[in-house]
Amino acid sequence: MPTLKIDGVEVTVPAQTTIIEAAERLGIEIPRYCYHPGLSVVGQCRMCQVEVERMPKLAIACNTPVADGMVVSTRSPKVEKARRAVLEFYLLNHPLDCPICDKGGECPLQDYTLAYGPGESRSVEEKIQRVKHKVLGPHIVFDAERCILCTRCVRFCHEIPKTGELGVFSRGDQSEINLFPGKVLDNAYSGNVIDLCPVGALTSRQYRFQSRPWDLVRHTESVCPLCSNGCNVVLDVRHRQRGEELLRIRPRENPAVNRWWMCDEGRFTFTYLHDPARLRVPTWREDGPRGEMAYDDLLLRVARAIRRVVEAHGPEAVGCIASSWQANEELFLVRRFFREILGTPHLDFRVRPVQFQPSDASEDGILRRTDKTANSRGARDLDLRPGPGGLDAAGMITAAAEGRLKALFVFEEDLVRAFPDGPLREALGRLDLLVASSLFPTETTALAHAVLPALGFAEKEGSFTNFQGRIQKIRRALTPHVASRSLPEALRELALNLGRDLGGIEPEQVWAAIGERPGPYQGIAWKDIGDLGLLPEES
Amino acid sequence: MAFEKILTRYQDVPNYTGTIDEYIAQGGYQALPKALREFQPADLVETVKRSGLRGRGGAGFPCGVKWGFIPKDSPRPKYLVCNCDESEPGTFKDRMLIEEEPHQLIEGIVISSYAIGCHLAFIYCRGEFVSGAQVLERALREAYGRGFLGRNILGSGFELDVHVHRGAGAYICGEETGLLESLEGKRGQPRMKPPFPAISGLYRSPTVVNNVETLSNIPHIVLRGAEWYASIGPPKSAGPRLFSVSGHVERPGNYELPMSITLRELIFDHAGGIPNGRRLKAVIPGGSSAPVLTEQHLDVGMDFESLAAAGSMGGSGGVIVMDDTVCMVRVGEIVSRFYHHESCGQCTQCREGTAWLHKVLRRIEHGQGRKEDLDVLLDMCDNMKGKTICVLSDAAAMPIESYLAHFREEFEIHIRERTCPFEGRGAF
Ligand SMILES: Cc1cc2nc3c(=O)[nH]c(=O)nc-3n(C[C@H](O)[C@H](O)[C@H](O)COP(=O)(O)O)c2cc1C
Ligand code: SF4
Ligand code: SF4
Ligand code: SF4
Ligand code: FES
Repeated sequence: MPTLKIDGVEVTVPAQTTIIEAAERLGIEIPRYCYHPGLSVVGQCRMCQVEVERMPKLAIACNTPVADGMVVSTRSPKVEKARRAVLEFYLLNHPLDCPICDKGGECPLQDYTLAYGPGESRSVEEKIQRVKHKVLGPHIVFDAERCILCTRCVRFCHEIPKTGELGVFSRGDQSEINLFPGKVLDNAYSGNVIDLCPVGALTSRQYRFQSRPWDLVRHTESVCPLCSNGCNVVLDVRHRQRGEELLRIRPRENPAVNRWWMCDEGRFTFTYLHDPARLRVPTWREDGPRGEMAYDDLLLRVARAIRRVVEAHGPEAVGCIASSWQANEELFLVRRFFREILGTPHLDFRVRPVQFQPSDASEDGILRRTDKTANSRGARDLDLRPGPGGLDAAGMITAAAEGRLKALFVFEEDLVRAFPDGPLREALGRLDLLVASSLFPTETTALAHAVLPALGFAEKEGSFTNFQGRIQKIRRALTPHVASRSLPEALRELALNLGRDLGGIEPEQVWAAIGERPGPYQGIAWKDIGDLGLLPEES
Repeated sequence: MAFEKILTRYQDVPNYTGTIDEYIAQGGYQALPKALREFQPADLVETVKRSGLRGRGGAGFPCGVKWGFIPKDSPRPKYLVCNCDESEPGTFKDRMLIEEEPHQLIEGIVISSYAIGCHLAFIYCRGEFVSGAQVLERALREAYGRGFLGRNILGSGFELDVHVHRGAGAYICGEETGLLESLEGKRGQPRMKPPFPAISGLYRSPTVVNNVETLSNIPHIVLRGAEWYASIGPPKSAGPRLFSVSGHVERPGNYELPMSITLRELIFDHAGGIPNGRRLKAVIPGGSSAPVLTEQHLDVGMDFESLAAAGSMGGSGGVIVMDDTVCMVRVGEIVSRFYHHESCGQCTQCREGTAWLHKVLRRIEHGQGRKEDLDVLLDMCDNMKGKTICVLSDAAAMPIESYLAHFREEFEIHIRERTCPFEGRGAF
């Protein structure tokens, strides 16, 4: 392994490492525009030039492999001049859009100009005017004046989704990024060009003009809940004084899961969290119409109803259908409540065909998977399945229709949608107690006696297990509605009402209990799950 | 002073049209059988090395050395690509060679392909060379007809196909890796080097790219020997060279001469001197990318070394002569306009710098110059040189630097008087 010196510091790296990567190991960021670790190297922007002893010309750090004994300077006067020159060249035709540009405040062109650039322009020539805000596809708008032609977007479309919608047209200073004739930038991963673009040339139609970066005060690390891949994300939330709101989801690098990318569906599907149609308050319906009810009262009534059913028909008259939308911690407590506290074997989470296969599949060989929920793997690992003699979800519905099942809990699933063929409405109608939790009103909640508003993935702490078996944390980015409660809180209260103790409900406490049990998660503690998740077989 | 014409000896044959029979009648296609029968490929590479032949496309790289870089053990096919993109302003000798003596080039291509183990060669022809490409197509058909191309050439077992490919009108496709991209059907823009084409060229396979004139020399070297060839001209710039002389001379045209001649001899003895009794002001000795020389350089030799020592370069052999009616600011404007138009645009300094150079020079020429402009121009040139993927950026900057070095006063007059003192007269 070659050893080299960068800015006077020695570093030993594997052969074939480039200078830009070697410097990164030392925490030295060599400025770059065209280079991106996930894309092919083109060496076009010339921003990353460094001085290498005994090389007559400056070398581009992104494409120069290290050699033993190499001496590199990233801050020599020659390097500084070359960098200043590149920035001066870029700014010759760059518009003064910063105050109205989405990128302003988190823009590498601003940042590098501030750090390395010329203070003022020597150019008196007129700037070239180009197309502004051209719509390229359902999610992306393009501003050609801001584009610095790094070609990251072009390479991304060619190399990752391999759809190749974008190209460079014309040459020299007439060069412009554009769509190939007849193409629309609508591949399933198009949003990644927003993150890749080092300037405000490719912006998100959803996020455009919604916020300034400095108003996005919270950047919460989390995991996308929209398929079993579990892409690592950051949730950007606006300041409470300006109205707390999740405004943007970005991918977070995780080499083992999503590298630098995420799909458009995961990126742009979150406005439902702020939808006024969401369920916010618990409701109760007995013989008359449905009415709002204080949580404590509602849970008392539910407890009473459970007790009635169990006393009259035994615990086997109670069933629970949990959901792969739920976090591991919720699932564990659900299982403990129904299997251990109530003692019913009727527990399941499988309401989708894909969940009956040993595993789901890759949808496109990139990231997206066929199971469009986050946590089927966690539900399987935590054994949210029927116990001895227990019924599965479909069996519980049949039992309800036949009058054998008297009470059913349904968490975050719309059974009417999941089992459209059966006589579902009649089956649910026969129940003495139907409790449903949900983000939105559904046909199932319409039939329920007790409806609990559920929390979205950005409103709770916990973890999902992705299809690989990797346990990954989700963190609370948004304050839940004042009237709502987390499911663990509700279950603990319910257990208390039944005279039982559910145990600790904080993630650390839940994991202490999970880790004690035999199974895939044995020996794992909450603190073991790092920023990039934890694959049990690797721990 | 009489010099035996080698590449252009056909010019002394009356009514010569360059057909295969005419070429054979003056001794053509004798080198090919000799090469195939008497030489192993490696011997040919050695012979070309010993001949001292240097590339005529611009860089003057030793031809045999380049061939020697082709890996012997590569499992991939080897390619030879003849660079006939000739777009450097002031250069027009490749066009003459393909239009008037195409078989000399084809014979050179077959021998060179044999030397490097290539079975598929391409001639990349400048898009505007419509008739030249037609001549080549016709000549290739003739050569196939006589068994100089195709399977089992002259019973040797060696086979070769040659295709003509026309470009679409881009100077940058003369740069060898831009050419290869274009030949592969992609956007014509140079590749990062390394790897060089000899290792990874056309379709990522070992490839030699040689200029038309370079390859046209090969049959003569094979036929008459490396030592004979090396004896022509100065030791480090062996062999004849075609100089395209244009501008203010009595007899513009292509002149085939040894590189031992001086600039003075070329302009005054061969091209007939400056017309209308005017004074020589400036000479660009190696195509528009070459720094300018002046009267004081007239006795410099036209070989690669001497021109470099004089601060310029042999380049493409295009010699542009300018008399004292020429405005050097306008020359700068025109030359920079060319590079502005031709930059492929991938490197920041070149894309932006070529345009900025052009705009500032245009402004100065049109009486809008500012005092600061000249230093900004020089600094800009410094910022453009040696920092990009290919040397087009250098080629745009170097001439301007040289105009400022030799004629700064002229620029200052433009700025001071807010007008061009040569108003009404053209450059070139
Ligand atoms: C911008 C640029 C344009 C060029 N144009 C040509 C050209 O038109 N013809 C040519 O033979 N070489 C041209 N070259 C040089 C080629 O890159 C290459 O060096 C040459 O074809 C090699 O052949 P040679 O070794 O026989 O000279 C150009 C180089 C640059 C940088
Ligand atoms: S891309 Fe960056 S520098 Fe350009 S206008 Fe936007 S914020 Fe300003
Ligand atoms: S649009 Fe953005 S990513 Fe694409 S080339 Fe321009 S600057 Fe680069
Ligand atoms: S130097 Fe100019 S012509 Fe050459 S690759 Fe870079 S931008 Fe293209
Ligand atoms: S980052 Fe190295 S050239 Fe662009």
